[in-house]
Amino acid sequence: MTTRAEFLGEIRREMAKTPGAFPATPALRPARPAEVAETIRRELAERWPETLERFRQEFERVGGVFYRVGSIDAVPGVVGRIAREREARRLVAWHPSALGRDLVPPLRSEGLDGEAMPPGALDDPRARQALRERIAAADLGLTGVDLAIAETGSLVLVSGAGRPRSTSLLPPYHVAVFDRTALVESLAQVGVLLEAWHAGEAPAGRGAAINVITGPSRTADIELTLTRGVHGPKEVHAIFVEAPWRG
Amino acid sequence: MTDLSVPFRERAGRALDDHFLQEALTIATTKFIELRREAFGSFPEGDALRDRARAIKEATLQRLDAHLERLIDRVEALGGHVHFARTAAEAREIILGIAKRTGARMAVKSKSMATEEIDLNEALEHAGVTPVETDLGEYIIQLAHEKPSHIIAPAIHKTKGQVAELFTRVLGRPAEPDPEALTRIARAELREKFLQADLGITGANFAVAETGTVVLVTNEGNGRMITSLPRVHVAVMGVEKVVPSMTDLMVFLAILARSATGQKLSVYTTMVQGPRRADELEGPDEFHLVLLDNGRIRQLAGTLREALSCLRCGACLNVCPVYRQIGGHAYGYTYPGPIGILLTAMLNGNAAVRDLAHASSLCGACLDACPVRIDIPRMLIALRKENVEAGRAPAAERSAFGAFARLLRHPALYRAAAPLARVLQRPLARGRRIRRLPLFFGAWTRTRDLPVVAPRTFSERWRALERER
Repeated sequence: MTTRAEFLGEIRREMAKTPGAFPATPALRPARPAEVAETIRRELAERWPETLERFRQEFERVGGVFYRVGSIDAVPGVVGRIAREREARRLVAWHPSALGRDLVPPLRSEGLDGEAMPPGALDDPRARQALRERIAAADLGLTGVDLAIAETGSLVLVSGAGRPRSTSLLPPYHVAVFDRTALVESLAQVGVLLEAWHAGEAPAGRGAAINVITGPSRTADIELTLTRGVHGPKEVHAIFVEAPWRG
Repeated sequence: MTDLSVPFRERAGRALDDHFLQEALTIATTKFIELRREAFGSFPEGDALRDRARAIKEATLQRLDAHLERLIDRVEALGGHVHFARTAAEAREIILGIAKRTGARMAVKSKSMATEEIDLNEALEHAGVTPVETDLGEYIIQLAHEKPSHIIAPAIHKTKGQVAELFTRVLGRPAEPDPEALTRIARAELREKFLQADLGITGANFAVAETGTVVLVTNEGNGRMITSLPRVHVAVMGVEKVVPSMTDLMVFLAILARSATGQKLSVYTTMVQGPRRADELEGPDEFHLVLLDNGRIRQLAGTLREALSCLRCGACLNVCPVYRQIGGHAYGYTYPGPIGILLTAMLNGNAAVRDLAHASSLCGACLDACPVRIDIPRMLIALRKENVEAGRAPAAERSAFGAFARLLRHPALYRAAAPLARVLQRPLARGRRIRRLPLFFGAWTRTRDLPVVAPRTFSERWRALERER
């Protein structure tokens, strides 16, 4: 087997044959990403309505369904309606600590058979397997959103404690709830924010997967016919809550 | 599977006679071209981003050792394992070792050209591990025992009727020739596999050195399934896929999907950073990254260095007048199309592209379409030259061009040749063209006309003018 030293040594030998033969510009990176991220946040806080409108347009363009409500307390009603229209009953949701509110009781009042995800890992493999089967059998997955990108209509979800990866993946309907603090304008801004997130030690509870979700799962592999919901959800719903509800 | 003992000319000829293939190729490539044009048409910053993306690739290649070291360190710090494969055989051995150690019986795979390139599926099967392709197009061609015919749309050569027939026969599920119904069948079949498999294998569209992040781009969500459900995740990536930072990554994401399918972003961009963390319910317990050379490293100082910037978007295939006629299978190797010829030479050596290097009109459409502006025609010419210099050109071509070169080097001979040619061409000329040459020269005119030697050549007229003065 080739070792790291042999492998990199081979690369260096080949690199040495062409010293400086190719013009290159150094990559542009923010020197202090945390400060730039803070500036972006401040600026966005002032012009969030335009950003939201752009997000709505792009999100709908990629096949998402957008809703706007005044407060987090109105969310269960919207989710209940989505569920009833689709004859969906079983719901899995991020843990209240990750979602910022325990929505399972009011969702039960809406007639949904809801379950919150555990706040961390499950050590017992059988319990883990049983939970996976319940997530796979659920009709609806309810999650929060870490970033909502206006340029592309995308939702960024970071995995972690209480926010399992499959909640937004296995159920056929994904419903995501967010407020103005998640809104960003562009991919370039996402780059800066990701730099800032990674600048120090990862905070406790942060997981190992960041997913950028741009509309429902799709394929065009058979005669280029667009078909939704091939492996992931066939519908993605985003509910914007006007009043931030966390802290 | 493509039979390489059949010469390229013949493989291409068969593709040209396949009327269904012709129609499917025209429809698919035309659609991709339109989608790409619309995507960049409404994206004024696109051109500048393409330049920036290329500059980042060049800068990264210049310090490839440092960026890879950073990537390896970061992945290991996150609890992942990094492996080094100089050859396809070594990569297979590494992956089979992981499969064996973890007791895997089935491996779910998301679309990956790198694992196609190393013929991983055959090796897994031999070792008793069932590989399951989960990208719908790849799944279809795996059931049909075929190879991808397009980098991003592997099954564009199949009709819905053929897919329905295939599903009915192989899966034992009566299927209607309706894309939506067929997709539902595949979803159900593959959902079970995702939930059962112990091993997940992916490629990598990018890897971010600074954060130890492997990035997968899919539309269907199979990349997410594989990074969420199986116990073990193995990602195989060519060394050239590393980018320095998250800032850089965003530049590539902004142009990749636009070039491939005309989307602003593919549906799912999945960034994974090592195995599942302590507080996480899901994600693999083990994460492995296999860094693959397989001919790439040699090109850091080679003729094909520019091709190391390729993002595998497929845009050059769609615009290529040759690909549009013959499709992916006729090329005979993992990577088809203009960039595929270069990658085939990179992986299999120049001799493998003796004929393929000529499967291009050098029109430059690929260069225009390439999101990172890889000068494919320049390198095709370089490959032709290298093959001629290595004595690999066909004997007839060598002697013909040798004679022509002698003629050009000797003005007296050249002047004498024109009147002689006018006599010789008389029985062959039809109007101002020669449509068929005799003997082995006929190979040249089988697909081309030759203009006749002019009644008065330029040098004859020039000499006449000189005399008049």
